[in-house]
Amino acid sequence: MKKVGLLLIAIAACCLGKAQMTNEDSIWVREHYNKTEHLVTMRDGVRLFTAVYAPKDAARKSPILFNRTPYSCSPYGTDQFNPRLYTTYWINYLKMGYIIAIQDVRGKYMSEGDFEDIRPFNPTKKDKEIDEASDTYDAIDWLVKNVPNNNNRVGVFGISYPGFYATMAALSSHPALKAVSPQAPVTDWFQGDDFHHNGAFMLMDAFSFYSGFGKPRPQPTTEHPQEYPITTPDNYNFYLSKGAIRNFSALLGDSIRFWNDLMKHPDNDAWWKARNTRNFVNNLKPAMLVVGGLFDAEDCFGAWNLYKAIEAKSPRTDNRLVMGPWFHGAWGGRGDGSFLGNVRFGSKTSEYYQQEIEIPFFNFYLNLQGTVSDIAEANIFFTGQNQWQKLKQWPPAEVTYKPLLLKGGGRLSFEPNPLFKPADLAKRPVYFTQYTSNPQKPVPYTEDVHLDRTREYMTDDQRFASRRPDVLTFTTDALPSDITLGGPVVANLITSITTTDADFVVKLIDVFPDDFAYDAAKDGKGIGKEYPMGGYQMLVRGEILRGRYRNSLEKPEPFTPGSITPVNLTLPDVAHTFKKGHKIMVQIQSSWFPLVDRNPQQFVDIYHCADADFVPSDIRIYHDARNQSKIILPVLNK
Amino acid sequence: MQRLILICFASLYLTTGCAQSGNYLKENYIKMDTLIPMRDGVKLYTVIFIPKDSNGTQYPILMERTPYSAGPYGNKSYPGSTGPNAALMKEHYIFVVQDVRGRYMSEGVNLEVTPYIADKKTNKDVDESSDTYDTVDWLLKNIQQNNGRLGLHGVSYPGFYATACLPGAHPAIKAVSPQAPVTDEFIGDDANHNGAFFLLDNFSFMNYFGKERKGPVKDYGSNIFNVQYNDAYRFFLKMGPVKNSNGPQYYNGKSYIWNEYLQHDTYDAYWKARNIRQHLKNIGTPTLVVGGWFDAENLFGALRTYEAIATQSPNNQVQLVMGPWTHGVWGSGEWTKFGTHDFGSNTSKFFQDSLETVFFNYHLKDKGQPLAHKVTLFQTGSNEWKRFAAWPPTQAKPTPYYFDQDGKLSSTAPTNKLGASNSFSEYISDPNKPVPYTNGVFRGRNNEYMVEDQRFAASRPDVLVFETEELKEDMTIGGNIVANLQVSTTGTDADFIVKLIDVLPNNEPASKTPIRGYPMAGFQRLVRAEVIRGKFRNSFEKPEPFVPGKVAKVKLQLNDALHTFKKGHKIMVQVQSSWFPLVDRNPQKFMRIPDATEKDFQRATIRLYHDAKNPSSIELPVLK
Repeated sequence: MKKVGLLLIAIAACCLGKAQMTNEDSIWVREHYNKTEHLVTMRDGVRLFTAVYAPKDAARKSPILFNRTPYSCSPYGTDQFNPRLYTTYWINYLKMGYIIAIQDVRGKYMSEGDFEDIRPFNPTKKDKEIDEASDTYDAIDWLVKNVPNNNNRVGVFGISYPGFYATMAALSSHPALKAVSPQAPVTDWFQGDDFHHNGAFMLMDAFSFYSGFGKPRPQPTTEHPQEYPITTPDNYNFYLSKGAIRNFSALLGDSIRFWNDLMKHPDNDAWWKARNTRNFVNNLKPAMLVVGGLFDAEDCFGAWNLYKAIEAKSPRTDNRLVMGPWFHGAWGGRGDGSFLGNVRFGSKTSEYYQQEIEIPFFNFYLNLQGTVSDIAEANIFFTGQNQWQKLKQWPPAEVTYKPLLLKGGGRLSFEPNPLFKPADLAKRPVYFTQYTSNPQKPVPYTEDVHLDRTREYMTDDQRFASRRPDVLTFTTDALPSDITLGGPVVANLITSITTTDADFVVKLIDVFPDDFAYDAAKDGKGIGKEYPMGGYQMLVRGEILRGRYRNSLEKPEPFTPGSITPVNLTLPDVAHTFKKGHKIMVQIQSSWFPLVDRNPQQFVDIYHCADADFVPSDIRIYHDARNQSKIILPVLNK
Repeated sequence: MQRLILICFASLYLTTGCAQSGNYLKENYIKMDTLIPMRDGVKLYTVIFIPKDSNGTQYPILMERTPYSAGPYGNKSYPGSTGPNAALMKEHYIFVVQDVRGRYMSEGVNLEVTPYIADKKTNKDVDESSDTYDTVDWLLKNIQQNNGRLGLHGVSYPGFYATACLPGAHPAIKAVSPQAPVTDEFIGDDANHNGAFFLLDNFSFMNYFGKERKGPVKDYGSNIFNVQYNDAYRFFLKMGPVKNSNGPQYYNGKSYIWNEYLQHDTYDAYWKARNIRQHLKNIGTPTLVVGGWFDAENLFGALRTYEAIATQSPNNQVQLVMGPWTHGVWGSGEWTKFGTHDFGSNTSKFFQDSLETVFFNYHLKDKGQPLAHKVTLFQTGSNEWKRFAAWPPTQAKPTPYYFDQDGKLSSTAPTNKLGASNSFSEYISDPNKPVPYTNGVFRGRNNEYMVEDQRFAASRPDVLVFETEELKEDMTIGGNIVANLQVSTTGTDADFIVKLIDVLPNNEPASKTPIRGYPMAGFQRLVRAEVIRGKFRNSFEKPEPFVPGKVAKVKLQLNDALHTFKKGHKIMVQVQSSWFPLVDRNPQKFMRIPDATEKDFQRATIRLYHDAKNPSSIELPVLK
């Protein structure tokens, strides 16, 4: 969620100088568009700051594309144009005469009122009660009535936090709202998006983001808040040396409301459920296009699962899904989507999305032009095979769920373990693999020393982790033929731990053959840096579960030390082909630092416990016929 | 000794490149290849370059004896350059390069690090000293232009051949410069450090070097075996016990040296005969020993060759130069930066112009002045050249730093506070998950591992970390570093690696050196590291098992350092029990490790004690 905000600021900073002066498109935009700024009054009298870019040509009526953001609709001033209009594919909309409206959400930047993070949707609001849906309704109502030459058809789109506002827009049910595209939408901040994954706290993103974004804004301003100034460029060292979460709370002081809320709500309680947009997406009226990145470190979960929730709760809605090989927002004008980190995708996937999917989608619903018949229900890029697949549903109907069994000696196989007769029990092989998880030496989430959470960690080489004694690896033989996965991955772990809580991180990895090398003609040039790709351990999907939530995200339960305990964990969906000759690897570990805060490994209040509460735990993963840990794969083979 | 070849090739390329616009050697020297008979009748292939302008002028001879080929062969085939450096080549010497006995175009049988025979009885008793003697004798008698003086030089394995001429040296030998000399392959050079086998380097090196031949050859042809991998960590882990290296797809018994290495797993007669140090007594020949602080192969050899001559020869004329160098780079054109180090000056040019050339010119040509200083060393950390009258410097004060609870390193010994007795730090050493010696995926040895950021290791549960507070003033160490560990293990053998690290302050700006932009704040810069195979803690000859759970003393000498820990930095020590695949894995079971099979490798819980009864420390040679 954070990075798009930063990006916009960065683009604004770097483009305002040069690009605005020299970019051909920027000159065209200034010649053909006017910018106006408005304080649009909501039903409760609060006014929201709204920038409108409209074509000077009044000869025809145009649709409105609307974006609501907590990251500022800057630059402010009617002579200052937003660089996204001419430095990204948005220029295509402008060339077709679209009206672009960008609004600061309630309580942020130049809008009046109070900001509330992921403000709950109120299905039963009356009179002057507001929520983000009503604000969108009122804004759309004003736009269609006040912006000259509009065709009374509005589309809303937004990436990340603005993706959440797009979902809220869909709930507004304004009759002029015809199409909505929530992209990497913040959807469920407890289960899978930015700040928690299955109850585990995404420390680094939460702390750095909220130290700035969460600051009070007593009155409208154009100024950006400053984040906490971390003085070392080494996040592992910084977050480890600060210790327990309560020490971070002390660093932030008591004025950051949402941080305080996070600390008050460690479990998936009613407070969180009111903020889970999936609970409200019933009978949506506009056409929906949900977009996300397979390797989005922030809101991959939100994209997959918002789509699924709409399918379930709005069965009649025209709802489509796009997932590409992207980091957070890559499809929206950040890079061409032909590679991420060391992994290459063979084509410019972002351009494909913009030209073949998003623009035709809005053109059809807002401009009544073209067709959406080429946009499938699910438009999914499968990495590994590096192909777009147009599918009739997601997960595809053809998927069969096949268990991949963990075995002794670090092996992984579809073959079941032999059942042992009682007489042979003594002869059975070692039936668990053990490691010690030491909170003083947590497993790094990525290899290099750096400060900002990288977006590339989602496809990073996991060899650095394989080498650690506190990371278990299980690997298949080289595959005799391609195996394509499409859908969610479920880990059924049979565990025991020597303490009362532990985290479980499961990583699904594609091990490239030892002689693997990219072919620039076929795979693209990538990042342009040499990296040894032979034996590369590509993270396809990683996910964490805070063990206490293994049976319920609502009701945490301690482990009984030494007692065999199933731990089930669903990884966000994957779309990937393990090619012939590659191997499938699964890694299991109990920390992922400082991406995720450390579990003290005792059943204590993690957000308020002391440094001394963090203790090592010996963790066993069982893998025999009786206690068979396994990974269930959504196999999509013809 | 491996890397030098690459460097030689590289410089060959460079100079051959230059040759197109004029090969100085070819233009100014006559090349003559000849076979020189030794006392036992074996003939050694010798390449001689004589200055063309020698109209009655007499020149000294500068010779290198090498196992890496004296080629290109033939009177008309010139290399791009010869001799220790370009300045000397232009000074005009008679340069000689000789294939040692049993290698390339020389006759006879090659022995690994040929043992010196102190009491030669017949003409059949030959060694490198006698071969050098016989060669010198022949040259003085047969090359008319010589001035009766001869010098020897050589880097790495040729450094050994330079040292080897010293005992029983021909009187005409007036100057010798062993550089990164192979000196003791069991205690500290390429093959083993304190009995721990250096798997990574030797496995690839012996694949080419350890090949046998039937008679003189210009080229040894292809390697013994062909293997493709780009991740050495994974490759060697998958290969398994060292025993498997002799499997059909690898050595398959075809390398005599590899077989000898696996056969001799203690400091037995084989290795002792190959320790040239014991014969460096009463050496009066002017000798300039040269080495690099970041030499992954023969740092030990340089320091200990100097020490052996200096301490065992009352009238010695030995001098020492140590620079901030990797293996052999003092012979390169420029060396100002390495890893994240910036030395601030061209250290290799300084060495060639102000030390090496001056040394040979004075002793062989009576030109100029002798080198004024016994010891010339580059002080890392502060990046300056320092001169000493002796090494280790007499003013160095051995100062213990004690390991303590909570990862502290302190100059005060632990006391038994209430509840603090039996204080230890503990880790599990798992041979299936050995600690990498470097961060990242490499095929060969990462040459920068000796100056690498150790944060990748500090984050591991099987690496203990101890550090001081921030230093209130600069602290310089110069001399021997000794670790005194008190340990116990649940196994019966274990390796111990001790790493001395300079932790940079949190306000250190990002790197401007070749690794541009690397975050230097909190950088854990390796200063010196060493390994000991635990069973050799009391004797390299007679290994002893550990008694599981019982405290044992492990004393480990690290190679010398001259380094300034600057004000605001911290001193850190890391302790671990594997360093892979630089060093082979210890099965952690007392046995002949070359015989170990997969099932012998076991996890061990290792404790490092730090209480009043069993204090552990590292002794630093602090200079005032």
